[in-house]
Amino acid sequence: MPVAFAIHDLSADGSLVRIGNNLKDGISNGAIWALVALGYTMVYGIVELINFAHGEVFMIGSFIAFAAFGWLGLDLTTAIPLLILGLALTLLISAIASGALNGMIEKVGYRPLRDAPKLAPLITAVGFSFILQNVGVLWLGGSQVSVPDLIGSQNLLFEVGGIDITNGDALSILTTIPLVLGLTLFIDRARMGKAMRATAQDPDAARLMGIDVDKTISATFLIGGVMAGAAGLIYALYQTTIWFHQGFEAGLIAFTAAVMGGIGNLRGAVVGGLIIGCIQQISDNRIGPEWTPVIVFAFLVLVMLVRPRGLLGEETRQAG
Amino acid sequence: MSQRRSGLLAAGVAVVALSFGLAACGGSDDDGGGSGSGTGANEVSIYSSFPLQGASRPTGISLQNGVQLALEQAGNKAGGVDINFVPLDDSTAQAGEWTPEAESANAKKAVQDDSAVAYIGTYNSGAAAISIPILNEAGLAMLSPGNTAVGLTSDAPGADTGIGEPDIYYPTGERNYARIVPKDTVQGAALAGLMDEDGCTKVGVLNDNEVYGKGLAANVIDAGSKFDYEFADGGAIDTQAANFRSTAKDFASQGVDCFVFGGITASNAVQLYKDMGAAMPDAKLYGPDGVGDSDFAGGLPADVASRTKVTVPTLSQEAYGKEGAKFFKDYAAKFGEDENKIGPFAIYGYEAGKLILDVLDRAEDPTNRADVVKAMFDTKDRNSILGKYSIDENGDTTLTDYGVFDIKNGDLTFDEKISAKPST
Repeated sequence: MPVAFAIHDLSADGSLVRIGNNLKDGISNGAIWALVALGYTMVYGIVELINFAHGEVFMIGSFIAFAAFGWLGLDLTTAIPLLILGLALTLLISAIASGALNGMIEKVGYRPLRDAPKLAPLITAVGFSFILQNVGVLWLGGSQVSVPDLIGSQNLLFEVGGIDITNGDALSILTTIPLVLGLTLFIDRARMGKAMRATAQDPDAARLMGIDVDKTISATFLIGGVMAGAAGLIYALYQTTIWFHQGFEAGLIAFTAAVMGGIGNLRGAVVGGLIIGCIQQISDNRIGPEWTPVIVFAFLVLVMLVRPRGLLGEETRQAG
Repeated sequence: MSQRRSGLLAAGVAVVALSFGLAACGGSDDDGGGSGSGTGANEVSIYSSFPLQGASRPTGISLQNGVQLALEQAGNKAGGVDINFVPLDDSTAQAGEWTPEAESANAKKAVQDDSAVAYIGTYNSGAAAISIPILNEAGLAMLSPGNTAVGLTSDAPGADTGIGEPDIYYPTGERNYARIVPKDTVQGAALAGLMDEDGCTKVGVLNDNEVYGKGLAANVIDAGSKFDYEFADGGAIDTQAANFRSTAKDFASQGVDCFVFGGITASNAVQLYKDMGAAMPDAKLYGPDGVGDSDFAGGLPADVASRTKVTVPTLSQEAYGKEGAKFFKDYAAKFGEDENKIGPFAIYGYEAGKLILDVLDRAEDPTNRADVVKAMFDTKDRNSILGKYSIDENGDTTLTDYGVFDIKNGDLTFDEKISAKPST
């Protein structure tokens, strides 16, 4: 799709600025979906559970970030150095709180059902999703709530070859990259990361090798929640509007991204998130916003038909 | 294993579908069937159905309060019978707005109550499209203080005649629905005229693909076709989208200098206007009564709010004279609100209550549904708080005044009156 529109732009406008802006918007939106998708893919990879509550953990992350702005006194008049410090602190608060929430859900809701039929934790996940949605309604009401535009989300930061980079784009991309790289390194090299991979491949063998499987699974939920909390803050600053229902839509898109990229594969989740972000923006700008959901899911179906394991899907306990 | 995963995914989908399905099954807990004949009792029930949760809550609450105030001021009596007021909610917390399931359940509850003679509602035209046929089959009078979609009553521009509007809503062939708010041929003409006055040259239009929003967008385009400006019709939005930046940039690249949305606040309108405002820093922004509430006005950043005008079928408080002044004072006292910040639809709720009282007074038998419907359609030259009006054979009001509101300090502030002349 981008190639077709790039050719169109070259013939019609003689430049690639328009498609460049579409892709840039797609990457900055998709980066947020990618962070949420990581939680889905990690959890599915290790316990074969579609954690339907994950989108709502992301929503709660946004709400906590919004509350933290108030606690820390961050508003449009805050000086830039204090603002940066405050936002870093907010990131920490939101990530830790969301991680703890996801960990708590695992401990209370999923761990007791570890040996139960698969449908039991699945229904529990749906239950937690509804519970958290209602927590959101009780917390900030049923309407969209405007968040102070602390970073000037749509203000131009700089321009590269006609492509406008806004403060929101910079925040989204520059926060997501280190988080994803850090997580990838953690999974690849850290002792707990290796334990996660081992548990994902064969929990019984991992247990025989001395790995504390329950602790490893808890850590997976905690890390997924941390990513969702970080995404919640970025979403709040980027969109400047939050509401209790944002997790449902984000969860749907992020889960789609995880499946498209290859469920259980971290890089796949990121790639899936970025692809969906780009498809959404191109469709909104070129075809019409009413068609966007159709196009996104049509693309997912196409990917599944060609590569049933997803774009970067590989042999895993679940997939192979 | 692929099968195993597919099975798990399918099971997940089934669980979600089942959960939503069960949620949709909530229905009436009343038994019994309605009757078109008079009950002979000395008490009748008046139902109301408005969204009391989500983004439309401020409007829904002010409409319900208005009805309640009117009925209480009359001692809950009219036409020699006592009135039992039954306020219902057609929204859910999960949806954050009205839902077809809730509205359908409300209408069925009213129909199954033998003492019910009138149903005041809805605010959302899409909700009315659900309840009108249900009430129509039971011969129950429905009076809306908020619906503006054209197709609910007529086949004038803006109606979707392709699906059979308006006859599709009246399975018995008899009319039972009336409204006291001017329909969107009037509002469309008001918005189109306003944009011409403001010097727009190219107007971007989007809608939320609902009965009200889609129809209104069509009305604006229809009424605006007689002016010199052009339209860029972007069609419908995905109301669940995280943002609308690319759509806004598309409008900006087309040279759009004015924007209007056919939709309601709950359709992600705050995010939409933020994104339009950011992508087009000099554009003028317009909204219909669907966004005429405090959630929308208070949600916009100052630079966007200062460029936004909203049309609402309400005028300044002063325009309603002494009766209006008394209403605003009484309303503020009863519901503990600031007299100057009462929602624009409260007065429509009040007049809906007053009209139903009048209808019961005039009905031959106020306990008979058919007599109540007849009396509602017999409303001619009624001197009301909104001004003198009649209900025509389609159920439409003859009122045509719209107010233009600015947004100042997060509040809707009356600016001017427009007496629009619709094309049909």
